[in-house]
Amino acid sequence: MMEKEMQKTENVSATERIRNVKTFVPRVDIYEDKDSLFLVADMPGVDEKTVDIELEKNVLTIAGRVENGRIKDGTLMYSEYEIGDYERVFTLSDEIDRDKIVATVKNGVLRLELPKAEKVKPKKIAIKAA
Amino acid sequence: MRIRNLLPSVQRAAANDADHPFYSLQRQMNSLFDDFFTGFDATPRSLASGVGAFSPSIDVKESDKDFVIRAELPGVEEKDIEVTVTNDAVAIKGEKKEEKEDKGKNYYYMERSYGSFNRVIPLGTETDADKAHASFKNGVLNITIPKSAQAKAKGTKVPIKAT
Repeated sequence: MMEKEMQKTENVSATERIRNVKTFVPRVDIYEDKDSLFLVADMPGVDEKTVDIELEKNVLTIAGRVENGRIKDGTLMYSEYEIGDYERVFTLSDEIDRDKIVATVKNGVLRLELPKAEKVKPKKIAIKAA
Repeated sequence: MRIRNLLPSVQRAAANDADHPFYSLQRQMNSLFDDFFTGFDATPRSLASGVGAFSPSIDVKESDKDFVIRAELPGVEEKDIEVTVTNDAVAIKGEKKEEKEDKGKNYYYMERSYGSFNRVIPLGTETDADKAHASFKNGVLNITIPKSAQAKAKGTKVPIKAT
């Protein structure tokens, strides 16, 4: 059971693609603090050149290509993972300041920082002594 | 099954046999038996770590000359990985650290896992441990271990003389 859980999830809803490879849904963590929303995705095998982030209206798509993932020669003794591309779609609310989104990739992990728009940040209201 | 798999016109030619569901079942069965018969040297993957803890996925390929091992270790730092090669096995040890800055924040999704891992892969053939080399790029670890001269020499062709 658990083994299944560890494996990559294939993206079954992916549309017909040109590349003849499988597409997987990357595992993500999403969390927020008072200024920003953070999205962290595990995408082993991608680097800054092969990762693609697209924001169209309020739909954020993260995609990654994995090149040369397969070991070419020899017989497969163990195979616990499959090679494929990554794709996942998120819907953003208006509360994100789109111009200030920052993305970095390191060690196969994509990190997005989505700053909240000024208007939705929590504000402290000073109370005046009357 | 996806509909496009049923349509001959768009059916992808199975890129290689390994992709075929039947072979994948066979492979799973094989690894099940392997886990059992290699004794407790090779911790079955499902028991290799605690529930929900991180455990890398590993691919191992064997050719005449060497073994190539690939492991997916997204988010692990190079310095946190330890690869030990003995004569007939390789151990990959390390830790995927949870970023400390995350603490105390509101989580909406938590699908990634963290923790330390230790996997031992028996190779079943003598290797030249001194000549092994490993690289780590974009969260994928690559290890190449040449087979020992002895192991390679197995199966030398014997010329047959006509009498």
